[in-house]
Parts: sequence; C-alpha cells; structure tokens
Amino acid sequence: MTASDLLGLALRALRGHRLRSGLSLLGVAIGVAAVIVLTALGEGALRYVTAEFRDIGAEVLIVTPGKTETTGMVPGVGGAPNDLTLGDAEAVLRRVPGVERVAPIVMGTETVAAGERRRQVAIVGSTHEFFALRGLELSRGELLPPGDMRRGAAVAVLGSTAARELFPGRDPVGRIVRVAGLRARVIGVLAPRGTHMGLDLNEVAVVPVATAMRLFNRRSLFRLMVQMRSYQQLDAGKRAVIALLAERHGEEDVTVLTQDAIIASLSSIVRVLTLALAAIAAVSLAVAGTGIMNVMLVSVAERTPEVGLLRALGVRRRQVLAVFLAEAALLSTTGGLAGLLLGWLGTRLLVALYPALPAAPPLWAVAASLLLASGVGLLFGLLPARRAARRDPVEALAPRA
Amino acid sequence: MTSADLVRLAGRALLAHRLRSILSMLGIAIGVGSVIVLTSIGEGAREYVLAQFSQFGTNLIAIHPGKAKTTGMPGMLGGTTHQLTLEDALALRRIRGVEGVVPLAFGLARVEHGERGRSVMVYGVTPDIQTVWRFHTRQGGFWRGGDPRRGEAETVLGPKLARELFGEQNPLGRFVRAGGARLRVVGVMEPKGMLLGFDLDDSAYVPVATALDLFNQIELGEIDVAYAHPDLSERVQADLKRVLMERHDGEEDFTITSQEAMLEVSGNVLRVITMAVGAIAGISLLVGAIGILTMMWIAVGERRGEIGLARAIGASRAQVWMLFLYEAVAVALVGGVAGIAGGLGLCAALGVFLPGLPVRTPLEFVLAALLTSVATGVASGVLPARRAAALDPIEALRAE
Repeated sequence: MTASDLLGLALRALRGHRLRSGLSLLGVAIGVAAVIVLTALGEGALRYVTAEFRDIGAEVLIVTPGKTETTGMVPGVGGAPNDLTLGDAEAVLRRVPGVERVAPIVMGTETVAAGERRRQVAIVGSTHEFFALRGLELSRGELLPPGDMRRGAAVAVLGSTAARELFPGRDPVGRIVRVAGLRARVIGVLAPRGTHMGLDLNEVAVVPVATAMRLFNRRSLFRLMVQMRSYQQLDAGKRAVIALLAERHGEEDVTVLTQDAIIASLSSIVRVLTLALAAIAAVSLAVAGTGIMNVMLVSVAERTPEVGLLRALGVRRRQVLAVFLAEAALLSTTGGLAGLLLGWLGTRLLVALYPALPAAPPLWAVAASLLLASGVGLLFGLLPARRAARRDPVEALAPRA
Repeated sequence: MTSADLVRLAGRALLAHRLRSILSMLGIAIGVGSVIVLTSIGEGAREYVLAQFSQFGTNLIAIHPGKAKTTGMPGMLGGTTHQLTLEDALALRRIRGVEGVVPLAFGLARVEHGERGRSVMVYGVTPDIQTVWRFHTRQGGFWRGGDPRRGEAETVLGPKLARELFGEQNPLGRFVRAGGARLRVVGVMEPKGMLLGFDLDDSAYVPVATALDLFNQIELGEIDVAYAHPDLSERVQADLKRVLMERHDGEEDFTITSQEAMLEVSGNVLRVITMAVGAIAGISLLVGAIGILTMMWIAVGERRGEIGLARAIGASRAQVWMLFLYEAVAVALVGGVAGIAGGLGLCAALGVFLPGLPVRTPLEFVLAALLTSVATGVASGVLPARRAAALDPIEALRAE
C-alpha cells in the first residue's frame, strides 16, 4: 500500500460516516479556534501596549526622583527628599555626552477657565523640546518658545478637546485662559491624539515649566525626559545621568527608566497571561482527543471483518496500524484546519468590534495549535489502531456471535 | 417500564461499552475539573484581596486631592490651587461620628543607620493610624498624639526595615537618618505584608509634619477618615464634602472614596475576571458535550434492533426517548462528579505545594458544576434521543 492508498482508504472511511466524522472534527476545531482567538487577543494587547510606548522613542531616558530597593514599587509616587530640579535638567543637557534634548516635566490638575467656561485639565509644565520629544504636532498656532527654561512666560498650548470645550466654535489662539491665579495667552492647539500612558493628551494645557512650578508652588520636577542622539548611546547615557545626579545630590537617589525596559517588563507580563489563557483553552483539545479515540474505537469494531480480509490478503500489521492512524490524523488535522478558519473569522470579528485593538494570531500560535491538533489525533488514535492491528485475521473474519 | 427500569437499562448499556463510556466521561471530567480549579483560584484571589483591604477596617473613607470634571456654570470666578492641607484634616476631626483622621504625606527616602541604609517608602501619619488603619506596634509605641502640625523627630519602623537596619539589635531609642533629618526610633510595627505592590513592612512611619518637611511639601497626598458606625457612612460623607467645600471656596476639588465602594468595585472586577477564565475553561465542556453527542448518535444506530423490539412489545416513544436521555445524563453526571473530585483534589494539592496561592472552592461552585454536568448531558442527549424515539419499529426491526 502506498501513502496515497492509505489516505484514500482513510478518507473513504470518514466520508462513510459524515455526521460522526463531522462532530469529532468540530471538537478539535473549537479547541483550535479558541487558542487562535485568545492568542490573537493577547498579541493585540501586546501591540497596543508597545505602540503606546513607541511614541516616546527608543532613545529616551525617563528620570524620576526617588529610588527604591523594594520590589513592585512605582517610582515617582509621592515626594523624595532630594528634588529633581531645573538645575539638574540643565546639567544633564550640558554635561552628559550624546544628549540631543531634555524636557523637564511638572504635572498637576487644575481648573482652566475661559470666560464663563471652566474645565479641569492636566497641566503639563515643560519646554519647547517636549513637543519634539513626544512627537506632538500642532493643529494651529505655535509651540512654547525655545530658550531659557527658567523663564516662565504666561502662555499655554491647549489639547484639542480642552480647546474645543473652552472655546467652542472660536479660534483659541491669541485668547486668554485663567489657570488658578495665572492669566495665560493661548499660543497653540495640539492636533488630536489618543490617550497615552494614562494621560489624555487631548485634555491638557502645556505651559512653560517655570510657570507650572510657580503655579503649583513646587521646586521639584515630576520627571525629566532625556533624549539621546542615538539608541547606541542609551546605556552610556543612563549611567552618565545617574552618576551626574548622584554627584549633584550627594547620593544616588533617582530612578532612570528606558522605554525598552518598560516594554520588556510589560510584554513579559502580557505574554505569560496569553500563554496561560491559551493553555487553558488547549485543555479542550485533550477533550476533543477523547472524542476522536471513541469514534475510532467504534470504527475499528465495525470494520473488524474488513481488517480480517486485509490481513488475509497479506497486508501487514504495521500497514493496518497505519490505515487507522491515518484516519485519526486526517480527522484531527482537518479539524485543526477548520479551527484555523474559525479562529481567523473570530479574530476578524474582534477587530471589527474593537478597531483599537490590533488583534492578530501570532504565527507560533497557528503552527503550534495545528501541530497540537494533529498530535492529538495521532496520540488518541494509537490505542484503537493497535487494537485493529493486533486482531487475529481468522477470528476477525469469523462471523460475529 | 418504571423510571427505575429506565435507569437500569441505561446503566447496562453504558457498562456494555465500558471504554467508550469512560472516554466520554473523561471528556466531561476534564472540562468540569479545569473549571473548578480555575474558578477556585479566582475566588481565592478575590477573597485574598478583599481581606487585604478589610484589614484596614471597613468604616473608612479616603479623600484625595483633585477631581476631573467639566463645569460650565456661569458667574463663577477663577479656579484655585487649593489642595488638601493639615488644616483641612484638623477641620474634619470636628465632624460628628468621625472617630479618627489620618492626614497622609508619603514619598521615597533613604533611611540610614550607621553603615546600613535602605531606600523605602516613608509615610507621614499621626498616631491615629492605630485606630483608623488598625496598625499596631509590636515593640515600643507611637510618638505622642496631639497637634499634627508639630513634627517630632521620631519614627516607627516597619519590621523588615528595622531588621535590615539593626539586625538583631533592639532599635528602640536609637537614631536613624532620613533625608538630612535625625529621627529617634520609638517603635516597631507588627508585620502587615504587601498591599497593592507596596511592602508595608519595608517602610518608615513619621509624624506628618516631619514628612512634609522632609519632602518639602505643603499639601497632603491623602486624608483617611474612620467613622464610628456603618450606618453613618452616608451622613459622614456628606458632612466631609460640605466642610471641605466650605474651606475650598465652594469648589469640589477633591475626591471622596469610601472603603465599602472600593471593596465592591474591586470584588466585582475580580469576579468578572474569574468568570471569564472559567468560561474559557468551559470550552472543554462544550467539546465534551459534542463527544457525548457523537457517541450517543452512534449508539442509536447500533441499537436499532433493540429499540425496534422495545417499541414492538409496547414501549412508548416517550420511554425510548427517556432511555437515551438518561444514558447521556448519566455519562455527563458521572463525568462531572469525577471532574469535581479531581478538581478539588488538584486544589488541595495546590494548597500544599503552593501555600502562597489562595485557593477556595465555595459550595455554590460545586453545585453549579453538578448542575452544568446534568445540563450538558441533557443538551447532548436530546438529539440522539429524538432520533431513537422517531424510529419506526417495523423499519428498525427489519434492519436487524
């Protein structure tokens, strides 16, 4: 018997019992589809998270005041005894080699008023460099003026939603907003942007950093963003920043994060979660395997005379084994392929429902689930196939009692 | 035929094909078992988190500075930079029903003793945390209460921090340095564990005014208020809001969260996650049901002669229908019970090998799993049973 003979025999046997073949196939298909959809979801979440951080640029260092040895702590919560100051920012720009630009950041929430309209927005105190560093574009007007970061002009750049809510139907550029006791002239409006790291960039007012520090009565920066000229200089830059600030503060009391480190730790979490969910879904493949084994057992029992005939005609035990194994493998592989199709459709549906989530099944999941499905068929087909192969031809041919 | 007869017939049919029946049952057992294990882990996690929060007491309200909202009210003057201050906290103390107020300022600082130092969270509090947070000292005590604006140079250390800095020595009465200040250790806390990623044992507690000084701040990060009785919750919240708004020029620039509300929200979130993971595991149950359906369908085909005979000697369609349905339910139920047993066994094993993992199986989950098994059996048995009942006895007997 050739391989195509084997396949033909198996196919014919399966088509002889369409319903039961279809049902066993469906079990595998559901399992594979579940794995595909879940991994697609995980991959989508991973891409979403990564894209969130990509906007900062890979060559950016984020310096936050405070340092901790305790695990699981978010740096930058609450205060720290040594301030991260504008002097620090200037020193980093001047003395760390390879620095392209720095953006000191002070944040707070405040009510911004224009005439009778008021809105609580996030106030970001920063400099001219902030916009380039974060890849922010203007829809109209101009950026914060470049130059000395200690000079706090009374100007503001508004996020798109904030601008629309405060000045409905009017051009905000050139008009005055009140932020607490401060009167600031609106000089620009940001182009609409998505939420980024929990900060809705449409609901901000960007003011010069010195202005924000005066407003919030604060001497310390919330954080300092440092952009290196190239990605290769990132590690050296990180060490230089830590050393410089340790020298200025008399102790090592800052935490420096890179986008890579943040993405790496986040994606390892998302990856583990995805794998765990996929593994849970894959349990159903084992259940589908028991179904295949059952159907194959029935098939072997029904075809006892056929097996006897084959053996009497000189077909070897190993070939009989191969016939039934091929049948089981065909069943589960077809089921796996159907599952891929089902999973692909499910993923398309997900993307249609949640366009923000770039869900797509990763290649490894497609390959692994298909391989697993075929493996399940072979594994669970082994027992019934061996039962058929071991049958004594004389007994098998004898009429059943 | 009585139903006892039906059950016996169904049982005999299952026993006649032992391997088949066991495989069908195994499918259901795997499904039920994995659902039980995963929901038990989820439920354990939920209770663990709730217990973590409840250790602070439930009659608790937290006030944070800032509130995001849009107002378009005409006639109001410009905004303010009002933040939560020590004076706000003092004013809240005078509200009726309030048992304790903890003004809170926190930050990261390096705490040092001799050659040893550790960067840890420093919490500026008042001795009221003993009643409000139910935090107690293991050794020594707190600095004297009274005016929170007075910043004594004293500190209470978390047990882990005390061990790291002082080893086996008694820290009481000794001095530590934190951000330029020299603080006398007056107490060591009881172990409390982790909360939301913050190791409460690896922290230092100092008078709130000392912390504000240390971190160069004037505003508080949070104010926690404990009230005397659960019934007072609504009234105290309303009073807190009124008093703070009066002090903040009529502006609601703060957020009040009650512990009850927070417990409810976090409990619900965890429950939804548990249900979602349980549902993913439940896919196996669906696949198992398809397995039973397939086998019953085959069984009906194999037993046409038997069915024809039964019908010919007077069994009604309904009885044939019931016979096959009983068979399917029996497979699912036995499989379900095996799955519950296996799941509970696995949970117990998890409890032994991973004592840190909180696992709990509520009785409702077990009952729900049983009911689901029966439902699975019914769902997968209906179609084959109908096929059997629809057989014409004459045709069925001829087929033999």
